[in-house]
Amino acid sequence: MMSNTDDIRWVTQVALLGDKNAFDKLTCKYQSSIRRFFLNLTMGDGPLSDDLAQETFIKVYLNISAFKGISGFSTWLYRIAYNVFYDSARAQKHYDDIDELAIDNQHQTLNEFSAEKMDIHKALKILRKEEQTAVLLFYMEDKTHKEIARIMNCPLGTVKTYILKGKEKLSVYLTKAGYGNN
Amino acid sequence: METTNNTDKMLKGFFSEQKQEIPDNGFSEKVIRKLPEQADHSWIVWIFAALGMVISIYLGITLGLVQHLLTVVQHVPYYYLLAVVFWFPLVGSGFIYFIQKKHYQLI
Repeated sequence: MMSNTDDIRWVTQVALLGDKNAFDKLTCKYQSSIRRFFLNLTMGDGPLSDDLAQETFIKVYLNISAFKGISGFSTWLYRIAYNVFYDSARAQKHYDDIDELAIDNQHQTLNEFSAEKMDIHKALKILRKEEQTAVLLFYMEDKTHKEIARIMNCPLGTVKTYILKGKEKLSVYLTKAGYGNN
Repeated sequence: METTNNTDKMLKGFFSEQKQEIPDNGFSEKVIRKLPEQADHSWIVWIFAALGMVISIYLGITLGLVQHLLTVVQHVPYYYLLAVVFWFPLVGSGFIYFIQKKHYQLI
């Protein structure tokens, strides 16, 4: 198990020496969780989520000296990922123009995780974007309320509301869908 | 209260079922290839190392530490010194072995 101490050591090596090997270690450690986060936010669009993840890591590399260590490196990384996603969504009007059929087709042909992920994406679609993010960070990425507030740059109370509302909606949806009855 | 706990349990169960690790499949390598070249800052290390060495030598000479050390070394039997020198590779190997062991445990 790699610790936060390793993160700090690698971050220092990257910030002071521009050490790409140290950055490679950070990328290897966090690529899975960041790509999964994007994959769920983009409703399973594998290529788009990989592009966003790549952009996130490049931004992290370029701005690593701005990391002050107040929160953990993981929280800071998610904060950048969150900003990258919403910048991209705003720029491309991703939400409005998303071609769900095309994504589903792409999903089935290109993404090996598609079959098992369809339910989660259908469930997430009933939530507002902020609720999706907060719920994903809380239940999927195991972040605390405080960390989510830092990532989404909003008050703690707002995060709790997002999660509560998301929880209520998902609970109704999953119960109706018969989840947990087996 | 119980309903909230049940809902929490249900959602935790649902999300943990969907959670999976995504294999790297060359992603990290691609990221590293796309990183822009930045100025090499490794000279900072050398500057500080050189500065530290100069300060050490200066203090050693002015405070008489070097002379004292030389005097001590002159009075030590040469086979003691040889024994110390022969211990270096052994101690060094042991140190590297433990570092490597720790490294493999982390992986």
